[in-house]
Amino acid sequence: MEHPMVDQPQQSKRDFLRYFLGGGVLAWLGAVFYPVFAYLKPPKQGDVEVTSVKAGKLSEIEKESGTIVRFGNKPVIMVRTAEGEVHAFSATCTHLDCTVQFRKDMGVIWCACHNGKYDLNGRVVSGPPPRPLDEYRVIIQADDVIISSRT
Amino acid sequence: MKTLWNRTFAWIDERVQLSDVMSFLGKKSVPVHRHSVWYYFGGVSLFLFIIQVVTGILLLLYYKGSEELAFESIQFIMAKVEFGWLIRSIHSWAANLFILSAFIHMFSVLFEKAYRKPRELTWLSGMILLFLGMGFGFSGYLLPWNEVSFFATKVGTDIAGVLPVVGEPLMVFLRGGEDVTGATLSRFFGFHVAVLPGIFTVMLGLHLLLVQRQGMSKPLSYEQLPATDQKTMPFFPNFMLRDLLLWLLVLNLLAILAVFFPWELGVKADPFAPAPAGIKPEWYFMFMFQTLKYIPGELWFLEGEVVGILLFSLAGLVWMFIPLWDKKSARGEENRFINYLGLFALIYIIVLTTIGWFS
Amino acid sequence: MVLVNNNVLAIVLCSVLALSTAFVTAQAQDQCLTCHSTLEDNASAAFKGDIHSRKGLTCASCHGGDARSDDMEKAMGTAAGFIGVPKGNAVSEVCARCHSSSETMKGYRSNVPVSQWELLKASVHGKVSTAGGEQILQCTTCHNAHGIVPVADPRSPVHQRNAVKTCGTCHGSASYMRRYNPSLPVDQVEKYRTSVHGVLNARGDAKVAECASCHGSHDIRPASDVRSKVHPLNLPMTCAACHSDVARMKEYKIPTDQYEKFAESVHGKALLEKRDLGAPACNDCHGNHGAVPPGVQSISNVCGTCHALNAELFTSSPHKKAFDVAKLPECETCHGNHEIIATTDNLLGVSPEAVCSNCHSPETNVKGYGVARTMRALIDSLEALEGTAAGLVSEAEQKGMEVGEAKFKLRDARQARLQSRTMVHAFDEAKFEEVVRPGMAIATVVMGEAQAALDDYVFRRVGLGLATLIITLLTLSLYLYIKRIERSPR
Repeated sequence: MEHPMVDQPQQSKRDFLRYFLGGGVLAWLGAVFYPVFAYLKPPKQGDVEVTSVKAGKLSEIEKESGTIVRFGNKPVIMVRTAEGEVHAFSATCTHLDCTVQFRKDMGVIWCACHNGKYDLNGRVVSGPPPRPLDEYRVIIQADDVIISSRT
Repeated sequence: MKTLWNRTFAWIDERVQLSDVMSFLGKKSVPVHRHSVWYYFGGVSLFLFIIQVVTGILLLLYYKGSEELAFESIQFIMAKVEFGWLIRSIHSWAANLFILSAFIHMFSVLFEKAYRKPRELTWLSGMILLFLGMGFGFSGYLLPWNEVSFFATKVGTDIAGVLPVVGEPLMVFLRGGEDVTGATLSRFFGFHVAVLPGIFTVMLGLHLLLVQRQGMSKPLSYEQLPATDQKTMPFFPNFMLRDLLLWLLVLNLLAILAVFFPWELGVKADPFAPAPAGIKPEWYFMFMFQTLKYIPGELWFLEGEVVGILLFSLAGLVWMFIPLWDKKSARGEENRFINYLGLFALIYIIVLTTIGWFS
Repeated sequence: MVLVNNNVLAIVLCSVLALSTAFVTAQAQDQCLTCHSTLEDNASAAFKGDIHSRKGLTCASCHGGDARSDDMEKAMGTAAGFIGVPKGNAVSEVCARCHSSSETMKGYRSNVPVSQWELLKASVHGKVSTAGGEQILQCTTCHNAHGIVPVADPRSPVHQRNAVKTCGTCHGSASYMRRYNPSLPVDQVEKYRTSVHGVLNARGDAKVAECASCHGSHDIRPASDVRSKVHPLNLPMTCAACHSDVARMKEYKIPTDQYEKFAESVHGKALLEKRDLGAPACNDCHGNHGAVPPGVQSISNVCGTCHALNAELFTSSPHKKAFDVAKLPECETCHGNHEIIATTDNLLGVSPEAVCSNCHSPETNVKGYGVARTMRALIDSLEALEGTAAGLVSEAEQKGMEVGEAKFKLRDARQARLQSRTMVHAFDEAKFEEVVRPGMAIATVVMGEAQAALDDYVFRRVGLGLATLIITLLTLSLYLYIKRIERSPR
């Protein structure tokens, strides 16, 4: 910024202003670089959580198994029947919103809160749930299992 | 301190003749007249572009350009990365302000006839930059992979697809397949961070070089003044400091927008879900989108949409080549036709954008 | 062709004639009966006591022909409109000729309804029978053909005392029912005889319910039909028709407020207001054909058909034995029966409204007193934590902060609280804590995350303010600097 073209008079005021300007530039640099460097710092949770609707590889999902897949803010339970069909349901129990789980020993989707049971088509078998689990669409593309919501 | 500075300067000057550049900058002046304010918009556009480059590179550190991770990675940036929300919101806001500022820049150049000889190439490169900028917008819009962007891209590429002969292959090229899928996302990501920036940088270099070579354009009315009445201001440091001042204000504006109106992320795109109601393109495509809605389905022997697109392409070409056919301005005469044309285009764009926005 | 047409015309004319003569001949001497009585056939014998005979109707009223003529050829000739024994739906149509016409019925000073035939046709018994071409039931199936007497007459097959047997003729026969509804049980009569209703009915009590009391008579529909009187949504009202009738119930010395209580209960609200068919109606606890109040020791089993986990926990808890000894009706002791309201945490603990304090006090049953107090304290603090966390999360969300992660975790805290409410039934402090503690931990984490989001919200604004201040300062000094440059002489 130093250049002979810059004027000379009003020495004291100029100095004051220039300090001000210099200080301003420094503070500004701080205001800009602080967020940038903070941004560059790797966050606590190292990487994006794989919370996609791509639920996995069909060949890797065991028969007679069930897993909870996170679907945005909602849990989805994906079950594979003994026959190899894959179904996905909202894992939120229709009774009081607990999260359901697959019970291989019972062969049902089970809610721990009040022993609600659903069959692998999401229909109520026994217990207090008033209606079936909401079903999600399962699309199998090549070997990928994709869970998609019905809208 | 001063001596060190001087010695460094001298060292470099000795090798690359820095003083030539300095004296060039020192001599460079900016005309002062009542339309001088419009000179700033080129600079503001440049500044916003720089912001885009910086924030874009920062986003690139966390963004993942794939169907299953794109949305989540932006969610991650917004929620987990420190100041990620700021960087992303600034990137989104600056993108929009960039287009706005570039449009203002273009219209001011048009009304001042600054494109006239010898600045035809500057105008041409500027128009290319604007188109590239819109390309940035279109490709960048899809990257969050949310519902709105997904369907807007679907509609946008669909429109390209109706063009005769080239439409179908163009659409397939843009989409990387028959449909908008993860392949489209990868492709748009590539366009957005590699292809477009490359071309843009070259064009921008050319544009700026031309501006420096030819100096600031002077309006006709100013040029006709006697030389003594032609007031000027040194580019360095006077105009440049003013530029900086404005840039600071723009940066502050961006920060305010980012904090108070953080850019929303919406819901993740579901390719199998039906399109939600009210899918709209970005506002700078709105006037074209809205026009297509008004054109009847069948026009003469052509599809209405095709006619619309062809008309817009034609208008774009005519617009782009204004410096070549506007002989009057080139001769230094007042060409009112251009004013009316510009005014018509401006009003047309504003009115249709407004209708589209509120419909 | 011509011949056929003539025949058809003749038949039509004859039936018109027969119809019009039927009323004329009503009061006249019934020659058919005179003759048939000498044959001593069952039909004519039965018809003498028939309400229709008493009202002056003759054989010809239903069978056609000319009852005034003693000439067989003439009386039972086609010219007189004789139709012989009607087959299939024609049987009921003959009855309906009068019984569907209010005019005609008024003529006989009868006030029996005239909708039976239409109702029967629309009912489950109106379906086409396996024989084809006709419906399953005709009027005569239940009411007899000859010797029909009013329902109030104890000889009527549909009289209060006989109805069960009449319905049971078909409904008790597995081989018959298999033809229409193989999955329908055929033990209803048997069960009915074990029920309070059935026992009193057998003793000749005319006021207790028999089949038609609940199922309707002509308009019987399957229980799955929403129009059926025994469809779960309608059943409570059907039972209440008698059981809420104070005068009717007086001699049995049982309360009559069950319906009112049920309608206010969590089950009643779910069933009657939310139309949730999973909720129990009267029969789900009392049985339907074998309706009796559940015994004291089987209550947890009855409730346990739906509330399985609670019942299981209760049965293996120390309370099971204690309740049995004290002859306390298991679930009902704390939750009530018909008036069960949505359970709140207030039931637990040692405060006056808590049910635990009915038996446990600092003086008696001290151990349980302590457990109840601890469990209540635990669940209260879990709820408080969860509430605070939820409040913070929603506040952060309203402020536009991304708290999806925290929201997701909050579900687990809620789940822990719900599970703990079930776990109460183990009446075991350690088991209870096992569920509550993790819930508290999650709620605390969520609170932290939400608070961080809120802090960040403030931080953003403060940061912006600071940055704006800096930029304004810089802009100002830059502005002054520019002014200086421009003022100064070149």
